[in-house]
Amino acid sequence: MKVISADHAVAHGARLARVEVVPAFPITPQTLIVELIAEFINDGELDADFLPVESEHSAMSAAIGACAGGARAFTATSSQGLALMHEMLYAAPQNRLPVVMVNVNRSLGAASGIWVEYNDSMPERESGWLQVYIEDNQEALDMVIQAYRVAEDREVMLPMMVCLDGFVLSHTVERVDFPDQHLVDSFLPKFKPLYLLDPDEPVTMNPITPPEYAMEMRFQLHRAVDGSKEVIEKVDREYGALTGRTYGGLVDTYQMEDAEIALITLGTVTSTARVVVDHLRSEGKKVGLIKLRFMRPFPSDELESIAENLKALGVFDRSVSFNGFGPVFTETRNALYHLGTPLTNHIAGLGGRDVTFKEVREMFTVIEEHAKGHRVKECHWHGLRGDS
Amino acid sequence: MYEIRFHGRGGQGAVMAAQALAEAAVLEGYYAQAFPYFGAERRGAPVRAFARIDESKISIKSQVYEPDVLVILDESILEIDPISEGLKPGGKAIINTVKRPEEVDLGIEVECGTVDATTIALETIKAPIVNTSILGAFARVVDIVPLESILNAIMNRFGEKLGHQSGVMNAEAARIAYQKTVVGRSKGTRKVVGKKMWLPTWNEIPIGNTLSPGEIDGIVVGPGSMTQNLTGTWRTQTPRYSKEKCIRCLRCWFSCPEGCIERLEDDYERWDYRYCKGCGICAEVCPADAIEMVRGVYEW
Ligand code: SF4
Ligand code: SF4
Repeated sequence: MKVISADHAVAHGARLARVEVVPAFPITPQTLIVELIAEFINDGELDADFLPVESEHSAMSAAIGACAGGARAFTATSSQGLALMHEMLYAAPQNRLPVVMVNVNRSLGAASGIWVEYNDSMPERESGWLQVYIEDNQEALDMVIQAYRVAEDREVMLPMMVCLDGFVLSHTVERVDFPDQHLVDSFLPKFKPLYLLDPDEPVTMNPITPPEYAMEMRFQLHRAVDGSKEVIEKVDREYGALTGRTYGGLVDTYQMEDAEIALITLGTVTSTARVVVDHLRSEGKKVGLIKLRFMRPFPSDELESIAENLKALGVFDRSVSFNGFGPVFTETRNALYHLGTPLTNHIAGLGGRDVTFKEVREMFTVIEEHAKGHRVKECHWHGLRGDS
Repeated sequence: MYEIRFHGRGGQGAVMAAQALAEAAVLEGYYAQAFPYFGAERRGAPVRAFARIDESKISIKSQVYEPDVLVILDESILEIDPISEGLKPGGKAIINTVKRPEEVDLGIEVECGTVDATTIALETIKAPIVNTSILGAFARVVDIVPLESILNAIMNRFGEKLGHQSGVMNAEAARIAYQKTVVGRSKGTRKVVGKKMWLPTWNEIPIGNTLSPGEIDGIVVGPGSMTQNLTGTWRTQTPRYSKEKCIRCLRCWFSCPEGCIERLEDDYERWDYRYCKGCGICAEVCPADAIEMVRGVYEW
C-alpha cells in the first residue's frame, strides 16, 4: 500500500505487468508515468528497454514494432502527443498488436491548455483501439494489468488505451494497494504474439491491400472489437477473485436497482456523482448512477438492459462535437433508440473546468424535470457563463 | 450511353487515352467521363481505364462491367486477362496488333479494328506509347466521335502537358492510325475464363493482415512471393547492352525498379530477363548510350 498519484499508480501497474519495451516521449500531465518507469529500469526493479524517442509518432511506431517482435510494449501520452500518434494508431488494431497505452486526458489544440478534456481520446474511438476510462488511482493501477490480459487474449489481440483525467487523477495522490507480483504473474502469462517478426522466419506484415480484401478485413476488426466484450467481463471477474477488486466490466452501476432516473458518467466525475446520488437518495429520490467504463467496445446492449425501466436518463460528456452533442450522448442515443428513453446531454468540465457537486446536482434537476414529462432542452452546458 | 473499357500496361497511356476520348466527346457536345483503375504495380503492369459518353449528364461513378467498346493497347494482355468479359454482343473492339481482325480471337465475334499502333508510335513519336494511335483507330471503328475532335482533344491534352510539338506529333500518330486501321470481325472461338482470384469471406482471411510464406489457392503469398511475379512477361521492348560503350558508371544498376541488372565480377552488367519489364529506365539514364531499347521480347 502506498499514497501515490494515478500517474505513479500506472507506472507501478506497468512494472507489475512486467512490460518489456517502453518507448516514450514526455508530455504534461503524463510525464510522471514514464519518468518513474525509467527509474524502475535504472534501479533494476523492472527488466525492460526504455527508448527515449524523438516524438510520439516514433513512440507509437516503436511500440508497434516491439509488439510485433514479441515484446510486451507500453507507452503513455496525452493530448497533442496522441494526435501526433494518430497515423500510427491505426496500424496496431488491423495487425492485431496488443500494445497498451495510457492516455492522460488533456484538452487538445487551441485554446491551449494542459487540463482535462476528452477531445484528445474520443476521436480515436474510430481507430480500432479499445478504450477504458478510469475513475480513481486504484483503478488506474489495476486496469493497466487488466488491459494486458484483455488485449493479449487470443480472442481479442487488440491494442488498448487506458484513459485517465489529467491532474484530477494524474497528479492527485490517493491510497493505492499493490497486488503481489506472484498474483499478477499467475494472472498475466507471458505475451505470445500471433505472428513473430523474426528475420530468420520472415512474414509479410501489412502488405498493400487491394479493394478486394479491405472490406473483409475491416469487418474482421469490427467483429474483434465487438467480441472483446466477453473477455473484458471475464477478465474483470477473474481479477476480482484474485485481488478482491472488480470494476463491473464494461459498465458499472450505483443505486440502480429501483432507480427511476439516472445519469451516465465516465472518468472522475463519476466519483462526485456518487456523492450527489447519496445526497438525493437521502431526500428520498429514486436516482441512480451508470458508470460507463468502455467507449470501445461500446456496451450498447448492456446499457439497454440497465436503462429499460428509467423514466429519464442524462448523459455527461467532457467533450463536444461542435454543432452536435457529446460523443457519449450520441453513442448512448444510438444504443437506446428502440427504448425511446427520454435523454438529455450534460456537457461540463471542458478544458479542465472543475465539475462540482452543484453542477452534477443541476444535471439531476434537469433529468427529474424531464422524467415528469416537462419540456427540457436536449443539451445543457453546465458551469457556463451565459445561457446555453 | 456509350461505355468504353481500355486495357493496357502501365506506361502505354491508357489513362490519357480515356481522358482524351472523353474530351473529344465533350468537344462534340456530349457529356463524358474518364477514370483509371490502378493496382499496386506500376509501369508495365496491366491497367484498366474507363470512359463513358452520353447525351445527358452522367451520374454513375462505378467501373464499366459491360462495355460497348473495348480498346486494347497491348495484345499480350489477351493471354493473361479475360478482357473481353462483359463485352456486349453488338459491341466493338479496337486492338493494337499486327494481325488482321479475323486472326484475332476475342472469345466473342464482334466488329473489330486492328492497327499496328506500336510501329506507328515508334515512327511518329519515337516511343512505344500507343495511346494516341489507338484513338485514331477508335475514330475509324466507332462513329460516335469524328477524327477531327479526337485530334483536337489530343492537341489540347498532350499539347498542354508535353508541349505544342508533342501535341502535333501525337495528333499525327492518330491520323496515320486512322488510315491504317483494318476493320473486320474478330474470331470468337476462345473460351473466356474469369481470372481465378482468391476471394475469401471475412472469417477466412488470416487475421492480423500478416502473411506467412505459403500458398493460397495456388497463389504464392508472403515474404519473397514477388519472386513468383515474373514481370518479364510484361515486356514489349527489351534493353540491349553494349559492353563496348559501357563506362561502368552503374547508373542503370542503381535505377532499375525491378533490381534485375546484376553487376558481374568483371565489372560489366548482366540482365535478368525473367524480371526485366522493359520500362526503359536503364536506357534513359545511361550516359554512354550503352543501352538501346529494342522492340520485342529477347534474351540477348
Ligand atoms: S533492366 Fe531496364 S528495362 Fe528492364 S526493368 Fe530494369 S530498368 Fe526497366
Ligand atoms: S548506365 Fe550505361 S554506362 Fe553506366 S553502367 Fe549502365 S550501361 Fe554502363
